[in-house]
Amino acid sequence: MAKILMKGNEAIGEAAVRAGGLHYFAYPITPQSEVGEYLVKRLPEVGGVFVQAESEVAVGNMLFGAAASGKRVFTTSSSPGISLMQEAISYIAGAHLPAVFINIVRGGPGLGGILPAQSDYFQATKGGGHGDYRLLVLAPSTVQEAVDLVMLAFDLAHKYLNPVMVLGDGMIGQMMEAVEFPESIKETDDPMTMDWPATGCEGRDPRIIKSLYLDPQALEKNSFALADKYKKMKEEEVRYELYKVKDDCQVLLISYGTMARICQTVIDEMEEEGVSVGLLRPITLFPFPENEIREQAWKENIRAVLSVEMSTGQMVEDVDKAVQGRKPVEFYGRTGGIVPSPEEVKDYILKILGKK
Amino acid sequence: MKLVTLSKALEMAEHKLSSLEKRILIFAGGYGSGKTEVAVNYAAYLARLGHLPLTIVDLDIVNPYFRSREAAKPMIALGVRVVMPAGEHCSADLPIILPEVKGAIENQDERVILDVGGDDVGARVMSSMADAFHKDDYEMLFVLNANRPFTSDVKGCMKMKAEIEASCRLQFTGIVSNTHLIDETVKETVLDGMKLAREFSQESGLPLKFVSAKVKVFENIQPEEIDCAILPLERFMLKPWELESKSR
Repeated sequence: MAKILMKGNEAIGEAAVRAGGLHYFAYPITPQSEVGEYLVKRLPEVGGVFVQAESEVAVGNMLFGAAASGKRVFTTSSSPGISLMQEAISYIAGAHLPAVFINIVRGGPGLGGILPAQSDYFQATKGGGHGDYRLLVLAPSTVQEAVDLVMLAFDLAHKYLNPVMVLGDGMIGQMMEAVEFPESIKETDDPMTMDWPATGCEGRDPRIIKSLYLDPQALEKNSFALADKYKKMKEEEVRYELYKVKDDCQVLLISYGTMARICQTVIDEMEEEGVSVGLLRPITLFPFPENEIREQAWKENIRAVLSVEMSTGQMVEDVDKAVQGRKPVEFYGRTGGIVPSPEEVKDYILKILGKK
Repeated sequence: MKLVTLSKALEMAEHKLSSLEKRILIFAGGYGSGKTEVAVNYAAYLARLGHLPLTIVDLDIVNPYFRSREAAKPMIALGVRVVMPAGEHCSADLPIILPEVKGAIENQDERVILDVGGDDVGARVMSSMADAFHKDDYEMLFVLNANRPFTSDVKGCMKMKAEIEASCRLQFTGIVSNTHLIDETVKETVLDGMKLAREFSQESGLPLKFVSAKVKVFENIQPEEIDCAILPLERFMLKPWELESKSR
């Protein structure tokens, strides 16, 4: 298929369709409303359904019910809307159901603003709602990668029977880039062939899908079953990318999403000036590429590790944990919708190196 | 690669673009067709030729980011008045229509460029002012990007045209061929897009007014390959990681 020009939000909608995600529940919120605007036209063409709920609380619970059918279900929202869904996300995780949540992050806390931010990192990667659970979190840095990761998210949600979140900052949703898609819509597994969904219990025993366990032994067992899945994710799903990480690198940048692209510009600029800086870009935020960061950070040539974020400092805690105090871990961030410029990131790096 | 200086870009544009002498220019069209980049560049082009006073109106009520108000600084530096919501409302996604908009449309002493939001939804804002436009006083240009999903063929363009016209109660008077893939735009992208624009022109009866593309792309196209006016674009609407010095 030839490349076309799409806004991130439209491309995310189309990617979900191509992945067989034909059951969409959502409530509009800037900066991701174009996903719904696109899908309201697109889903009827392919036999899909878009239910606009009365609130994000309802969206979360509609997804809970729909996920129990074994179909590929998803929603898109932005920060305050995702906060409203946390209760349902916890129930979905507790009940071992697959659902895809796409968060096009805007500035918070509270109602915040409508410009891009990365300040939902804690919420996305540490659980978000109550109880012992995690989301598998994927962070795209281009519109094409958003397409690829949205499609992957459905596969992983069904592989682990766990909610998966695609975490993109507002820029991912709003910018236009050239993208391409697989030719056809993915043939997804028939829920009748699965051993867990609620498909009507004709000729078999009923399946009870729930997160309520009054017996503490049973509840503990359920929580450890979840923990086992997260352990397996850590072994099998860590994804990241290295950019110009060379033997003479003095500073290792850690940055994700569109922020990582600003870091790449900084690295290119500094390379021309003879200062070698490299980037490790986490693609999965949970599981976090902890071992890979440690391996790079501990190399003799690295003088400092710098986490660059559109927040006041969230991922830096995981970077700190990965580096284990062996090298200085620094942080640079802007937030509230302000995106750090290449110049200010560069200045901060020079400061670390004592050159400014 | 050597950058073409702006004066060269102007030279490329100047001798062919004279057909658009109407006082008011409205840039409308499909969502994401590049109206803002074209409108801002056209404003810069007029300002550099000395066609002042000139006002550019950001009438985009459908996009929260990448609106012409983000180019306010270079516009003001060129002597162009920018009509956009003030203060914190500037970064809101509210359907704010300032009183200055109608004032600019009615003031016979200044040229006006209107950057309208995409699709029929974005164009609806115009319907409240449609009666203020005099038929001989404006051009409304359909900005076409053939690489966008809903305007990739003549049928799609005709549908988009009908929907926008019905929504804003004004008729298009011409077409701008602005087919691109941002950084991945090559000569063929522009020429293929122009081909669709010609077919759309034939079907709709609207003249193709000009072809726009980045200066660097025009460098690879021979003058005889394009049989109408051109507007070489410099990128005003940059993403945060794109450096001005490397995006011309």
